[in-house]
Amino acid sequence: MAELTAVQDLNKGLVRENPLFVLVLGTCPALALTTTVVNALGMGLAVTFVLAMSNVAISLLRKVIPSEVRIPAYIVVIASFVTMVDMLMEAYFLSLYQALGVFIPLIVVNCIILGRAEAFAAKNGLWRSLLDGLGMGLGYMLALGSMALIREVLGNGTLLSGTPLEMVVFGEGFKANPVLVMVLPPGAFLTFGLLMVGANRLRRS
Amino acid sequence: MELSVAGYFQLIFWAVFVNNFILAQFLGICPFLGVSKKIESSMGMGIAVVFVITVSSVITWLLYHLLLAPLGLSFLKTIVFILVIAALVQFVEMVIKKLSPGLFQALGIYLPLITTNCAVLGAALLAIQKDFNFLQSLLYGFAASVGFALVLVVFAGIRQRMDTTTETPAFLRGMPVTLVAAGILSLAFLGFAGMVKM
Amino acid sequence: MDLTTILVSAASLGGIGAGAAGLLAIASRFFRVEEDTKVVAITEALPGANCGGCGFAGCAGYAAAVAAGKAEPNACTPGGAETARKIGEILGVAVSTKERAVARLHCQGGIGIAAKRIEYLGYESCKSLTLLVPGGSKICPQGCEGLGDCVAACAFGAIKIGEKRLPVIDEEKCTGCGKCVAACPKRVLHMEAQSQKLVMGCSTKLAAKLVRKACTTGCLQCKACIRACPYDALIWDGLPKRIDEKCKACGLCVEACKPQSLLLLREPDPAVKEEAKRLIAERKAAAKPAAPAAEAKPEEPEAQPAAASGEKS
Repeated sequence: MAELTAVQDLNKGLVRENPLFVLVLGTCPALALTTTVVNALGMGLAVTFVLAMSNVAISLLRKVIPSEVRIPAYIVVIASFVTMVDMLMEAYFLSLYQALGVFIPLIVVNCIILGRAEAFAAKNGLWRSLLDGLGMGLGYMLALGSMALIREVLGNGTLLSGTPLEMVVFGEGFKANPVLVMVLPPGAFLTFGLLMVGANRLRRS
Repeated sequence: MELSVAGYFQLIFWAVFVNNFILAQFLGICPFLGVSKKIESSMGMGIAVVFVITVSSVITWLLYHLLLAPLGLSFLKTIVFILVIAALVQFVEMVIKKLSPGLFQALGIYLPLITTNCAVLGAALLAIQKDFNFLQSLLYGFAASVGFALVLVVFAGIRQRMDTTTETPAFLRGMPVTLVAAGILSLAFLGFAGMVKM
Repeated sequence: MDLTTILVSAASLGGIGAGAAGLLAIASRFFRVEEDTKVVAITEALPGANCGGCGFAGCAGYAAAVAAGKAEPNACTPGGAETARKIGEILGVAVSTKERAVARLHCQGGIGIAAKRIEYLGYESCKSLTLLVPGGSKICPQGCEGLGDCVAACAFGAIKIGEKRLPVIDEEKCTGCGKCVAACPKRVLHMEAQSQKLVMGCSTKLAAKLVRKACTTGCLQCKACIRACPYDALIWDGLPKRIDEKCKACGLCVEACKPQSLLLLREPDPAVKEEAKRLIAERKAAAKPAAPAAEAKPEEPEAQPAAASGEKS
């Protein structure tokens, strides 16, 4: 692979190698947690944090970990950061913690994190690994946010519900009778599929 | 959780259909989209997953209730569970390779894929979250993984008949139309919603 | 900071980790699978396509069987002579190579040649069609459906559906594994030795008078080919059947066949053709002496009554 500049390491994760729409990784939370924008962004931030921190840690430890046990070792490092995030959220963001539920510990098995650790952090220095982690995490957050935007607006009639900034988008009448399927499982698959169309277009152009 | 005998059957029905791992809870989507291209590979993956989830939900339940909870270390469950699952899968792979080379040929490649499958860790964590006893945890693990395998095979059947290359419009080809099909299958399974409450 | 908690969690996590590691270490010794070096070497010599043409489940299965002496070293048709030789080296035996076989289509009833009975718009699979529509989509029930089950079965990309909606087999890519033959529900694909150049391009079992309307290249069961062959290489078996050892690919049967059901895959060697024509001419000449003798006999009885009448008068 050609040498990328530092800035490119950061923003490749945003569009060109977007983890959700291009690499198709981390799809489980993307379908489950995008019913509201707040949940989606919260999950995105949690993943970004874990991704950046574990990339840094693994990059620092890459010369020390023997090759045969590298996967279990990476998993332990990632699991430790996830436990940290889990406890922090339970302490300071309780409603978000309850909304995200079992998917917070499931960040451990999010293919993005193990994948980037194996593919990038194990072979690159600290600074680059950090940028890569941040870029991928932000790209993931962007992807999650865009899915949640569509699903919440159409399926709930609101935007940013759950925060003091909650807006009712199409009026109270729509909010009483929204396109309910959008916040249900079928809507998740449909939204994901249709957003993939856009991603395919972007990738081809 | 106290359950009558009928309640146990309801638990199984709930785990397989109402709260299906893939179509209702979104656990295990990556193998769902990746492995379900052919029915044979889906069946292989499904059987491997049933085995791994059932065994791991038993072992993780025991570890949690006999070791972590009494010592006040419930915050370690994520790390301990994932380590145990990884070790278990490795162990199962070795055993199968030795005892049944034929089975290893059929299932062997799927076993490493299962380690990072959210369904396995998800089943273990959900059994703890819902405060199931040993038998309920075992049944839940088994039933949920059967539901996973069922949907995997059904979707593989749909995908084998669905033309994603020539008749589909170009912009929908490949992943998008597959996801739309998954959405419609999920819509079908919504019919089970509310039948059993757990 | 609760020191006890830190120590206890470190100890228990460390303990579980060490326990798991120990278990795996013991298991790896206890459950060690003795990899026979021969089996490993043979598996590596095989093409690795797992086509099943050898009759075993995958290359690993075949390698194990060969190492155990339960299979012939030359049974891998995709691997061919080279693989058989390598296996022979590993085992320390001399290996003879089998005649190279390829798949051939015994039907020419494509678009414009065979008449259709129904328009099938269902799932594009020959197997589906034959299950739904007994007798197939053409008037000839034995005709090739052309929906590509054979193409899907081929692990080597040697078959494609041609413009006449018939499978076209690339005989260079074909490894003779036989998967397509097994996949065809109409049984119009057959394995033949590649060196044989005469192909029967029809598999019909229809009565002769219906064949004309069914397909322009259908066998009319006139047996002209059998009569035309100087080597008696064709016998009648409901359809002309080639006897491999006798056929010299001279092409006389192809010329004799009016609907062109028989095909020759390459131009006949002119010398072979001349030889064949000469033999046929000889055969015809050998049949002729019976004619002059037959002409002589009717003359005698006529001569006698003349002589008898001559004597009387």
